[in-house]
Amino acid sequence: MTAVRLRAWLLRVWVALVFGFLMLPVVVIALASFSRTSYLTVPPRGLTLRWFTAVLGDAEYLQAIGFSLLLALVATVGALGTGVAASFALIRRRVPGGALVSALLNAPLVFPAVVVGVALLQFYAMVHLNGTFVGLALAHMVITVPYVVRAVTASLQGIDPELEHAARVLGASGPVAFFTVTLPLIRPGVAAGALFAFIVSFDNVPVSIFLLGSGQMTLPVKIFTAIEYGVDPSIAAISTLLIVLTGVGLAVAERWIGFHRFV
Amino acid sequence: MRHGSGWWLLAPALLLLLAAFVLPVGLMVPMSVRPYVPLVGITDGFTVRYYTRLLTDSYYLEIIGRTLALGFTVTLSTLLIGYPVAFFLARTRSRWRNWLTILIVFPLMLNLVVRTFGWIALLAQNGLVNQALHALGLVDSPVKLLFNFAGLLIAMTHIFLPFMVLVLIGAIQNIPRDVEDAARVLGASWGSTFCRVTLPLSAPGILSGSILVFVLSISALVTPRLLGGPTYQVMSTLIFDEFLQRLNWPAGSAQALLLTIMVLTLVYLSGRLARRTGAGA
Repeated sequence: MTAVRLRAWLLRVWVALVFGFLMLPVVVIALASFSRTSYLTVPPRGLTLRWFTAVLGDAEYLQAIGFSLLLALVATVGALGTGVAASFALIRRRVPGGALVSALLNAPLVFPAVVVGVALLQFYAMVHLNGTFVGLALAHMVITVPYVVRAVTASLQGIDPELEHAARVLGASGPVAFFTVTLPLIRPGVAAGALFAFIVSFDNVPVSIFLLGSGQMTLPVKIFTAIEYGVDPSIAAISTLLIVLTGVGLAVAERWIGFHRFV
Repeated sequence: MRHGSGWWLLAPALLLLLAAFVLPVGLMVPMSVRPYVPLVGITDGFTVRYYTRLLTDSYYLEIIGRTLALGFTVTLSTLLIGYPVAFFLARTRSRWRNWLTILIVFPLMLNLVVRTFGWIALLAQNGLVNQALHALGLVDSPVKLLFNFAGLLIAMTHIFLPFMVLVLIGAIQNIPRDVEDAARVLGASWGSTFCRVTLPLSAPGILSGSILVFVLSISALVTPRLLGGPTYQVMSTLIFDEFLQRLNWPAGSAQALLLTIMVLTLVYLSGRLARRTGAGA
């Protein structure tokens, strides 16, 4: 075997090992969720679907799923509205201090989420927004807007501004030109941004956990607290459901908009 | 008119971030210097004791040191494990390339609590890792992998590896193949081409990937909390307890501001460094 082929072979082995490492916890959870035992065990002993029926029959879990979906939907719509407009302004209009604005819009990406959570906990206590859905939704918009801005600006940079100019010259008003020409062209970016925003909101723990009022519970915070009390196969079952949904969603997004271009 | 319309379009996003991000974080500064009296609550007055305690008391210094050590080792391990993978994905002509990239993104999109839960199942006393080590005859009694540095390092390496790989793929793709071919034609071996051409040219990616992973790992809450428990603390879990268990908001604010300063300083310095080397990070 030549040195070149040996190197290529070693690289492939390494890549395969790393992919195995990345998938390891996913596989382990999926296996554990089918175990007949009441404690968590891998490989599973026996085969049962009772943990899935237990989770899907649990009113607390169902409520948490519903609440998380609603919150993620509201946050995504809000982040899209504000984020698409801001991206358009940053790319197509000359805004003084654009670099600073852009840095601010992206800041929540690297900012410690736990700090956002505790800062809002204090602030909402002062302005009496604590424990409200509005407060929670605003917090989720803050952490999801950067993802929309990133995907949409990338998309906007790839299309020719002359197309919109042409529409304007032909008599279309600004909004009409935007909605009939530009928006359809940047649809993949908007879709990718929306998917990111939805997932980031639906997964969030470090912000939500400080802001949830009594009677409010999101799914990830519910799983988080359940794990702190002790692990059992029903947590593996709800996790397996999330694994399947995430996988399907991602595969659909890749087929539909070529999601890998936006990461 | 064009200027005006730009600001109108920006206004909703700017207002949102100023009202629900900049202002609340800013208000932590006055909070962090108010005295907290047990059983009474947060009182009026001025004190810097939460800062001095944080920077002098050995209990807090140990937590800060542990947080930084964890961030540093996680960054290093994701870089070493991830670079060859990124190199492969950036260079392969396989038709599966896009799907392999999606496979890197998949863990990133999967709920963080779920991924952490997987590591609990793997690293527990009777978990799969200990079973495997025992079956291979490497250990006699189970190795402790939860509630300590090793467990956090393994799980957080897994959690932040996709970020590193994705940043590095971008950086390696930007290197023109001609430059490497030129080095080879001029007689450089594969090893010296890699060390003296490819690696230096991917330095901007290594820098921005490392800063990203370091910043995210020193801020992480969920994984350190679930795998470290209430006893093996890092800065974010300390802040968590200060706010939700001890209700000492001034002390928690001081800790949160210290973490923020550490993160912002790093991001600022990496930006300066990237500009000086003439490469966009």
